[in-house]
Amino acid sequence: MPISGVVISCSPGHRYTVIKNLNAYKSVEIHGADHRGNIVTVLETDSSEEMEKLIERLNNHDHILNIGMTYLNIEDEAERMARGETTTKPFGFKAPSV
Amino acid sequence: MAQTRREFIKKAAALSAASYAGLDLSIDRGSVANANENISWHRGSCRLCGVGCRVELGVKNGNPVGLRGVPEARTNFGYLCMKGMHFWKCMGHPDRLVKPLYRKKKTDTFKEISWDEALNIAADEFAKAHKEGGGEAVAYYGSGQALTEETYFFQKIMRGGLQSNNVEGNPRLCMASAVGGYLTSFGADEPIGGYSDIEKAHCFFIIGSNTAEAHPVLFRRIMRRKLDNPDTVKVINVDPRLSQTSRIADKHLQFKPGTDLALLNAMANVIIEEKLYDEDFLNKYTTFKSGKETVDFEAYKAQVAEYTPEKVVTICGNSFSADDVRETARWFANSKGTVSLWTMGLNQRKQGVWANNLVHNLHILTGQLLKDGADSLSLTGQPNACGGVREGGGLCHILPGHRPVANEKMRTQVEKAWGVPQGRIPPKPGLHTMAMFSAINDARIKAIWINCTSPVQSLPNCNLYNKGMAREDVFIITTDIFHTLTTQTANLVLPTCFHFEKTGVYGCTERRSQLTKKAIEPPGDAKPEVWIIREWARKLSEKLNDPVIAQCIKPFEGLEEGYELPKAIWNEYSQKLTAHRDNDLRGATYEVLEQMKDGVQWPAPTEEYALTGGTVKKFVKGRDPMADTESKDDLPYQFYGPAHPDRKLWIWLRDQADPEEIPDSEYPFYLSTGRIIDHWHTMSMTGRVPELLRANPYAHVEINPKDAQKLGIKPGDMVELTSRRGVNIMPAKVYEGPVEGMVFAYWHDQHKDRMINKVTKDAIDPGSKEPEFKICAVRVKRVSGPQPLKPYLVG
Ligand code: SF4
Repeated sequence: MPISGVVISCSPGHRYTVIKNLNAYKSVEIHGADHRGNIVTVLETDSSEEMEKLIERLNNHDHILNIGMTYLNIEDEAERMARGETTTKPFGFKAPSV
Repeated sequence: MAQTRREFIKKAAALSAASYAGLDLSIDRGSVANANENISWHRGSCRLCGVGCRVELGVKNGNPVGLRGVPEARTNFGYLCMKGMHFWKCMGHPDRLVKPLYRKKKTDTFKEISWDEALNIAADEFAKAHKEGGGEAVAYYGSGQALTEETYFFQKIMRGGLQSNNVEGNPRLCMASAVGGYLTSFGADEPIGGYSDIEKAHCFFIIGSNTAEAHPVLFRRIMRRKLDNPDTVKVINVDPRLSQTSRIADKHLQFKPGTDLALLNAMANVIIEEKLYDEDFLNKYTTFKSGKETVDFEAYKAQVAEYTPEKVVTICGNSFSADDVRETARWFANSKGTVSLWTMGLNQRKQGVWANNLVHNLHILTGQLLKDGADSLSLTGQPNACGGVREGGGLCHILPGHRPVANEKMRTQVEKAWGVPQGRIPPKPGLHTMAMFSAINDARIKAIWINCTSPVQSLPNCNLYNKGMAREDVFIITTDIFHTLTTQTANLVLPTCFHFEKTGVYGCTERRSQLTKKAIEPPGDAKPEVWIIREWARKLSEKLNDPVIAQCIKPFEGLEEGYELPKAIWNEYSQKLTAHRDNDLRGATYEVLEQMKDGVQWPAPTEEYALTGGTVKKFVKGRDPMADTESKDDLPYQFYGPAHPDRKLWIWLRDQADPEEIPDSEYPFYLSTGRIIDHWHTMSMTGRVPELLRANPYAHVEINPKDAQKLGIKPGDMVELTSRRGVNIMPAKVYEGPVEGMVFAYWHDQHKDRMINKVTKDAIDPGSKEPEFKICAVRVKRVSGPQPLKPYLVG
């Protein structure tokens, strides 16, 4: 369960539209916003992969200008990786034929 | 994770983000202490781009478990981007190289060998090549991702030990034109100001850079400045392609690739016509140059007068108006402070140095320099292109401390510092990157060491150069953390430590050197490069029976490799090789760098001064200690850089000149290339991080909707891109990004069908020798509807 602290920035005039939009995401907790268009959020997803997809979607939002990450905890995943329970090798790429 | 611990971590995350926005959350701060239980935090730099963001890596039981920004760091003030947040995954990745691998022939399969065997083979092969052809038969090709200690030490062995100036690095492919621009315009490499100008600027002139995606944390600062001052701060984006960066722009000028020289001259013309220039500044500090001649303001005025806004609009492709040019010039000149920013869009060009000169011209002309909020700031793509390669002697024509190798006095200084006989370093510069790989093509170079980079994929027109690397009579050693397409051409592959698994310094865009100390153990038998170099050089000295090579490593014998060894190397470099040079780093000792949250900006001649953070503005008396010690008159600005004997800034008369290849009836489109937010360079690191790979698993080509309609191309269709050199097939993204008549492709993909450098052109800038990746001519053809594709990485 990666958890991150993120400041999502938009132009101040679009703040409410963006907040409304963010509210629709289960994995986004909004903790506050300021008049400059900074929205303080915590993102929690099932995997880093899900978090990445989420950030990618947010990044593509018309009014979101920047996703500034300040903190990331991945201890669950790291522990599982260290125990060999999950692998970060999802690709199965073959060696090139050179 | 237990519920309570999860809650603690979420609260800590919320408090972290809130503290940046200045929000006071009613959350108990004890959560932070609980969340941090048993985690030790280690400060360092992110290594995934040239911004130099400071980050702390959280380590628990020897494993990376978290990351957080360093709020006090003047590079990033605690913010990180998505790409930066994922680099920890390279650390425990199962694809990591963990044993030295060897094969006699390139068609054999690799077998694991011991370090002793590996170093013996490396020394044997370099000794053999050296006996056959001397210093010209061996080469080192390094990287802007290598630590300064590594680049410095490698080039010391090559030059002082093997008497070879064949020392190059991938910054030749991205930064060489910026170096040429700074040296010829300001007399000294690297910017005068830095990031701190962003918060004081009133106009941003962003040209040839998609800052939002390539340098996201820096873009955040520009965005904040604009959003907080919407009416008084202007953002101008000049690029053939609309990008995320354009979202904050007041004005976006799209132009036909390669025509921006005309546009920059037109801006100068408007500035002169409307008397917006700073006459006093010009009189005191400026020389006008046309080729080898010194000319005057009138000559410059007459030259740019040719570039009327109306004429230039036509040259640039009629996608903006003459009034847009005038307004852009006025914003630039009249603002209280203008910062220009650019990257590869200007550098990777046959006219790369000229394009850089023309941006600098505008700053000199208007006096938009040397004051807070004004700078001509070239952004670097890699974390240590500046610190390691440009400053540490990592290119064929420069010795450490910005010393030209062709200058005897400079060579003697270095030889003395190293304690090697005078005359040991050859006077002739070595081969630049494209010449180096051409020499491999015909086996003039017999042994090459490629460190932490993948030229098989990153050279332009790569099919041509890859032939040489496949030769059996060229011995290739690679040092890397993962397999790359280049390790597949190697005889010997040596596993190295990743960032935070070793200690060393990176110098980012703004002359800032920052230390990252070892925080976790490397996997398997991976070793830091500095250890590899020392051990190899000792064997080399024995095999060549050459005590001078042993002399090169003598100060470093017996030192522990995780900290003491890099510290001793840094100490030699900073104390002996940068003393009294413009990049004086004597004050930036490890002791000082360890104390500094964000490192030191040179010049910083003393520790006491370095502890203040160093020099924010070069050349300004009272703000740059060297401007005081090197002062020759009463003027407040002192241009003491090594390249301008007249100690002036030079305005260059440069005309519009076409790129090497322009579209014709056979190849009717411009092709430009670049990188996206999630991937970095050849993807050998970011491609291993599943999240980054999945976000953009394969390269695609962006096509303007009008062109797509003409060619019958729909989103996702497979499209063939053909140039005079090679072919790619990749999916199309139909998008109002590139200007009509141009397509844009990303260059991170390692798949043979989508490796865009098979298509790009290897024309080079005559001054900087940097290739023209950014512009070539292609044919574009739809080959089928959408196809399922799999991402591909060398495994
Ligand atoms: S902007 Fe660059 S240095 Fe900063 S976190 Fe992102 S990738 Fe790393």
